Amino acid sequence: MPTHTPSFPDLLFDDAAKLRRWEALLMAHLGGAGYRELHPSLVMRNPVNPSTVRFFDGDQLVALRWDFTEALARTLVRRFQEPPPRLSYAGPVFRRPANSWDPVERIEVGCENIQVDPDERAEADRELARLLMAVPALLGLEGCLLHIGHAALLRRPMEAEGIPAELGLEVARVLDRRAIHRAAELLQDHPAKARLLAHAEILLSGPDGPGSLVALASGPYGGLLEAEAEQLTRVLSVLSAQLPEGLTLRLDMGDLRGLGFYTGPTLRLWAPGAQRELAAGGRYDGLYPEMGRPWHAAGFCVRLTTLLELSETKEGGK
Amino acid sequence: MKPLLIALPKGRLEEELLPRLQGTAFELDARALKSRKLRIPMADPLLAAILLKGADLPRYVAGGVAALGIVGSDILDECPVDLMELSDLNFGVCRLSLCGPDSTSLEELKAKPHLRIATKFLEATGRWLRQEGITAELVPLQSSVELAPVLGLADAIVDLVQSGKTLQAHHLVEFTQLGKASARLVACRGMFLSEPDRIGPLAKALTGLLQTPG
Repeated sequence: MPTHTPSFPDLLFDDAAKLRRWEALLMAHLGGAGYRELHPSLVMRNPVNPSTVRFFDGDQLVALRWDFTEALARTLVRRFQEPPPRLSYAGPVFRRPANSWDPVERIEVGCENIQVDPDERAEADRELARLLMAVPALLGLEGCLLHIGHAALLRRPMEAEGIPAELGLEVARVLDRRAIHRAAELLQDHPAKARLLAHAEILLSGPDGPGSLVALASGPYGGLLEAEAEQLTRVLSVLSAQLPEGLTLRLDMGDLRGLGFYTGPTLRLWAPGAQRELAAGGRYDGLYPEMGRPWHAAGFCVRLTTLLELSETKEGGK
Repeated sequence: MKPLLIALPKGRLEEELLPRLQGTAFELDARALKSRKLRIPMADPLLAAILLKGADLPRYVAGGVAALGIVGSDILDECPVDLMELSDLNFGVCRLSLCGPDSTSLEELKAKPHLRIATKFLEATGRWLRQEGITAELVPLQSSVELAPVLGLADAIVDLVQSGKTLQAHHLVEFTQLGKASARLVACRGMFLSEPDRIGPLAKALTGLLQTPG
């Protein structure tokens, strides 16, 4: 009989109970902050992304929900003239992972904050960060790290240097792996190669807090990224003052994952021993305009599947 | 505290790597190395090494068994795993080349109605074929690839070339270079980002040590 990596894991009693408990805790946390649950269908149409789990419904190609953010956005633009400002969600998403042995079915709880007025964006970002900062204590996690990044730190210099979008995504992909030597190969004879690599060195120099913003300011794109640097300084200062005990806040300018999607500050929550981040999110102001609505949005999701893996690792290590 | 594992490659890169680790915190215990032990203590008691075949190594690091690893970029390019690739260590440098019998030429190969290329580098070869707009049958082989054209299993091969002596011995020549391979320092993404104070300094030390010409 063939054996398979559990792409679609069954959760037995204890795991199922943990999952329900965490889900209830997180949904209550979000509900307490005014986030109302929206439950989009498990089936999505027009699945262009090949990493989705696709199948035919009659003669129509459909896919299992691969992403809550996109599923919610599709629902909102179809059903609302003005967006509900605060949404939460819980359930599974199905997406082929980067590592073949990771699960395809992943269970998430998350929230989205949607703004019509662009001036409300900064406060929304801080609100989301505060909500996420409370998550480790809710779940009984110790020694977690919250990484704050900013997608524009690489995107804007590449746009300013006229790097084609496809090449830009490829450069971001290798820099996300910290492979600056691969970025050098990709940029080959580009006239801005030396400047962009010097900038990448600064971004990847390590998550070591406000000190790296000083390096950013004196780097080749210090002037161009002045607004982003100021924004990060403000965010770090506000969040540091509200940081719960046991959580460390780090500026991670090398967080370049999802550069094609994120447009502003990004958040990633790590726990010691976890192979993947426990939560991830950020500002994505491009999605709604692409769907014809001039709305701005940010959000994060907590990956309960990763949390289950982490709890198994810890129990196994006892 | 349990020793932190570093995955080291067996074979081609091992021969260049191990002498460079001598006299450092990363030096492998000579007795354990000669034994059949799989986990080899390093000079620093908080570190240990596991020696792995190149093709298996990325999985051990991506899965978080080993925090760091050293592996050829040729292997990394063939296996889609989510790893941090922290530095090009600039040793074990070789060319990934399309080679064939010295009696033929690249033009003749391209003109073949059914070109067969033997290789263990299916991804890189596939990418090059797409780039060049060439249709070919890929013959997957794991070792002694240079035998394939000699014995008629394939018209050409894509393989790593260091000195070119093996090619010469089989009357093969390099037609074109598809890429370059060298040793890379890789890290488990989760450990690198969630334990930066533990993994970061080690990665810096290894890079500093191994990027220095031996």
